Amino acid sequence: MANKDITFSVAKGTIHALVGENGAGKSTLMKILYGVQRADEGTIAIDGVVKTFKSPSDAIAAGVGMVFQHFMLADNLTVLENVVLGAEKRHGIGDGARERIRAISTEYGLGIDPDELVADLGVGARQRVEILKVLYRGAQVLILDEPTAVLVPQEVDELFDNLKALTREGLTILFISHKLDEVLSVADDITVIRRGTTVATVDPATVNSRQLAELMVGSELPTPQTEESTVTDRAVLAVEHLVLSARTGTRRVLDDLSFTIHAGEVLGIAGVEGNGQAELVEVIMGMREPSAGKVFLQGTDISDWDVREIREAQVGYIPEDRHRHGLLLEAPLWENRILGHQTQRPNVKGPLIDAAGAKTDTTRIVEDYDVRTPSIFVTAGSLSGGNQQKLIIGREMAHDPKVLVASHPTRGVDVGAQASIWSHLKRARREGLAVLLISADLEELIGLSDTIRVILRGRLSDPFDPDTVTAEQLGAAMTGAGAGAAGAVGTAGTAGDAAPDPEATR
Amino acid sequence: MKLDARRIGLSLLAPVLALVVAFVITSLILLLAGDPVAEVWSTLLREPRPRTVVNILNGAVVYYLSAIAVAIGFRMNLFNIGVEGQYRIAAFCAAVVAAQGYLPGFLNILLGLATAMVAGGLWAGIAGYLKVKRGVSEVISTIMLNAIATSLVAWLLTKARDTSAGSGSNVTNTKAIPQSSQLDGFALVPGASNKVYTLLVLAVLVGVLYWFVLGKTRFGFDLRAAGQSETAAVASGVKVPRMVLTTMILSGAVAGLVGMPLLFGQDHNYGTTFQPGLGFAGIGIALLGRNNPIGIGIGALLWSYLDQQSNSLQITAGVAPELVFIIQGVIVLAVVIAYELVRRLSVRLEQSKVARELASPSAPTPEGATA
Amino acid sequence: MNRSLKVAAAVSVASIALAACGSNSSGDTPSAGAGGSAAGSAGGNVKVGMAYDVGGRGDQSFNDSAAAGLDKAKSELGVAVKESTASAGEAESAREERLQQLIEAGYNNIVAVGFAYAPSVAKVAKDNPEVKFALIDSTDAKGANIQNVVFSEQEGSYLAGVVAAKKSKTHHIGFVGGVQTDLIKKFEAGYTAGAKATDPSIKVDVKYLTQPPDFSGFGDPAKGKTAAEGMLSSGADIVYHASGGSGAGVFTAVKAKPGAWAIGVDSDQAKTAAANVRDIILTSVVKRVDVGVFEFIKQDKEGTFKSGEAVYDLKSNGVELATTGNHIGDLKAELDKVKADIIAGTIVVPSK
Repeated sequence: MANKDITFSVAKGTIHALVGENGAGKSTLMKILYGVQRADEGTIAIDGVVKTFKSPSDAIAAGVGMVFQHFMLADNLTVLENVVLGAEKRHGIGDGARERIRAISTEYGLGIDPDELVADLGVGARQRVEILKVLYRGAQVLILDEPTAVLVPQEVDELFDNLKALTREGLTILFISHKLDEVLSVADDITVIRRGTTVATVDPATVNSRQLAELMVGSELPTPQTEESTVTDRAVLAVEHLVLSARTGTRRVLDDLSFTIHAGEVLGIAGVEGNGQAELVEVIMGMREPSAGKVFLQGTDISDWDVREIREAQVGYIPEDRHRHGLLLEAPLWENRILGHQTQRPNVKGPLIDAAGAKTDTTRIVEDYDVRTPSIFVTAGSLSGGNQQKLIIGREMAHDPKVLVASHPTRGVDVGAQASIWSHLKRARREGLAVLLISADLEELIGLSDTIRVILRGRLSDPFDPDTVTAEQLGAAMTGAGAGAAGAVGTAGTAGDAAPDPEATR
Repeated sequence: MKLDARRIGLSLLAPVLALVVAFVITSLILLLAGDPVAEVWSTLLREPRPRTVVNILNGAVVYYLSAIAVAIGFRMNLFNIGVEGQYRIAAFCAAVVAAQGYLPGFLNILLGLATAMVAGGLWAGIAGYLKVKRGVSEVISTIMLNAIATSLVAWLLTKARDTSAGSGSNVTNTKAIPQSSQLDGFALVPGASNKVYTLLVLAVLVGVLYWFVLGKTRFGFDLRAAGQSETAAVASGVKVPRMVLTTMILSGAVAGLVGMPLLFGQDHNYGTTFQPGLGFAGIGIALLGRNNPIGIGIGALLWSYLDQQSNSLQITAGVAPELVFIIQGVIVLAVVIAYELVRRLSVRLEQSKVARELASPSAPTPEGATA
Repeated sequence: MNRSLKVAAAVSVASIALAACGSNSSGDTPSAGAGGSAAGSAGGNVKVGMAYDVGGRGDQSFNDSAAAGLDKAKSELGVAVKESTASAGEAESAREERLQQLIEAGYNNIVAVGFAYAPSVAKVAKDNPEVKFALIDSTDAKGANIQNVVFSEQEGSYLAGVVAAKKSKTHHIGFVGGVQTDLIKKFEAGYTAGAKATDPSIKVDVKYLTQPPDFSGFGDPAKGKTAAEGMLSSGADIVYHASGGSGAGVFTAVKAKPGAWAIGVDSDQAKTAAANVRDIILTSVVKRVDVGVFEFIKQDKEGTFKSGEAVYDLKSNGVELATTGNHIGDLKAELDKVKADIIAGTIVVPSK
């Protein structure tokens, strides 16, 4: 039973936010509301009428629409084709549908041209296409799952304007997010879920984000506040004039990057996704060979080392996409504890796997890092995102890393897990770890980093001081609109409208 | 452990479900064709005679080796359809080398086995190399290599044929291996005039090694990791291209052993009567056994059992023995479907179990993080 | 894993289906067997167990010819019969098992159709000395209770070669062999020799459908069709096939090309082939397997069984050209002369 006794009601024409830790039962609730999964008990009523959803099509018929966190769009089709796909019966696939899409777009101010290719759209616009898709199917109730996770601040504001426009037209919105400040700014009501039950429904006017977070976790929590600087003058990871050309063509994905991270220092890299962050990590971790330039680990040139050598040299790695790069979802937790450290104790004895050693240490990680799981024998895929991430961090920390390459370490993770991950990072930093922190969460970057640099089209900006920089300044640098970005090649418009780098979203 | 009891229950559920489905579908086909359903099943399910039991065991030995070869590829998400060609090339090479009798008796057998493994491994290695260096799908290349292997062996057979039999013989084969290297077999089944292949031992050994290497060694872990998620394996330091090549060669080496029980225990030469089709059967059996060494053993026995029982279908039930192909095919399909259903079920069960246990008040507090 | 599972399932099922197709024509066999048992009592203790090769009854060729002999024996001699057919790709032990089961079911005169049975007959005959065996097309298994029924295929094929060379307008003919074995090479050798002797400039295309140990070439019409189409499109206008059940495909291909002829094999295919292709069958090299089978049964019945080779050649009318449709009536004189020369030994027909 993932949920028990969830009760809340959403008033028509309002934005109702649903917040809770990962694993608190939000996803299950979503699935039930959208007909993917069925509730064992209880009812769902729309406009006072009790409905049963056996499948998503029932939910759609009842006017419930879902906008998923991961877009479900075919890049090589136009907006029109994407929207009518699976809903051909509504207005056909031709001019009728085109007119209808234009009408919806105008009515709610979405600014979507039906004949544009989805591949040419930015992230924000893609999200609006997703919303349009749902509206096209006649939805009166919209469920948005973490809609801001992929957006930069400016885009978030645009989205919120759109949502408010929708509610003005009488639509009802159920909004799920981890970002409490956003929730507070946009929602009319907020329901908090903890461990499968509704804890409280609060008025955003009467709470602040800290109180809200404590409601979610059920206890007090820390904030990502930079502590006393622990930066030493001992360089651990140095990157010099690093260049990486795209696999096809001569375009530079990484363009002459240089930086040094010292023991006890956290270097934060901000940037809109697809500007070279993923490639930077791949080069440092040895997954790709740089076209030019060098990477040094404590003075040793590791540019041509392979992944395993780099791992054995105590470079910890928290991958951006834990499902693709960090875990074997179908394997039990203790085997996942071995992953990435297949040649190191306590996982192996000579050429043999030391299952007992790995299991013992997995149990330790589960306890020390509060990985919530019934046992170390369940598959990694059955854990919630936050718990998966805690397992990964526990695993990487277990091998006393000198450098930690952390890509979006708290993405898709609830505030409770986020706090604990932050505290682990800070502790490691105090102990002299050099951290390369790549994140889209500006608050996290500002709170944890000793230095922040912005990456834009493969080039790094001059350093920002996290004590003085604001999220807006960083946002401007990330989109190339600000003066602070060294690599800023002036382009108008928001980053969301710039085509994402296909190389990076591979 | 409670979990394990349920896991065993779930893993038994799938094959049982598959067999029941296969039973029902085949019965329907029989009904539609107007064949005697009851008689077919009673013929197929009749207790085999001792002689047939030996044949079943012998068939299963060969199938087992073939299915293990396929399963090695499966574990790393590689699809070696080429077992068919690999075992033919290997059996031919082994037959030619062993017939020379370079070494006495038992050592000659070991030489033959080694030759077969090298030949099979190299042949499969071609597909591995093409995949790594040229990005050619191993599915395509191994199918092509099967055709090439067939023709190559047929051509080589004309060069290496045994001419001592004189002209007028319809059967083309290589020279027989020396008497001292021919394996007589074990009289395992009482009351049977025939014997179980001595190289049953080889099949068991291969099964144990398969279990040990894949389950217990670092290499096996790397291989399985690469099979489960190539991206995660790369990030964990596995050199996937090298792993692809190694896996193909290993798979091919085991494929090379497929023909060995036949060579040393029955035919004593490679020729026109050498049994074809073993590689394809291995694919079905590996699926049936879910790449598990014991499951594959059961699958091989079942396959061989059906093969052997099919013989009496015509004579006793008056139904074409091809019916057994239909049953085998239906079982493979039913197994794949049943496993997918059971897998979804067990994922759901596990997720809800995790959620349930976390919802219980005894769960640890989120603040246990400070070490 | 999932991807490979699904592909694997598909391929595995497909390969099974192919195996089944390769030999599907035997499905309607048993009714004859059942009918035969009823009449069995009249035949005294002669009960004939018939083990066909891949293709079985209904292959319009080799197995059918054997079946004709069996049917004749059944009606004229009143013996009881039981039939069983080999599957493509079966284990060697399956053939043994088939013979053994026929014997256990009380059939004490076994006809093993096709050389593939040789090793099995050798073994089973040794274990069952009281049972008599006829092994068609092979001398590889010898024994006191084994009669090796063999034919001079090259002689009949030589005549076919003469016919093809005379009838071809393009001076270009073809040969489709089922499986590249020494036996089928005898057909090819005689055919080519006959054609070249008649027209030294003639071009002969040769294609074997499969290589041993893959015997599916005897039961795969699709392969036969492809091979024949290749020859026809490159200019051949007469195609001789020795490919068992695959010949149906050869006929289909020839039918599609106006003016082209096919030459059948083993039985008179202008009578046994599918009705719509009979008119393009110029002649057939009839291998009187039926005679061989019938003679064996008759000997058993009369107690005159002889072990060892029983050779059926031109002289004994064991091989001959069929004249159905009278397409080769104009060549009769010439063919008779060639035949006489072969019998007399003036023409020596190569067998490989």
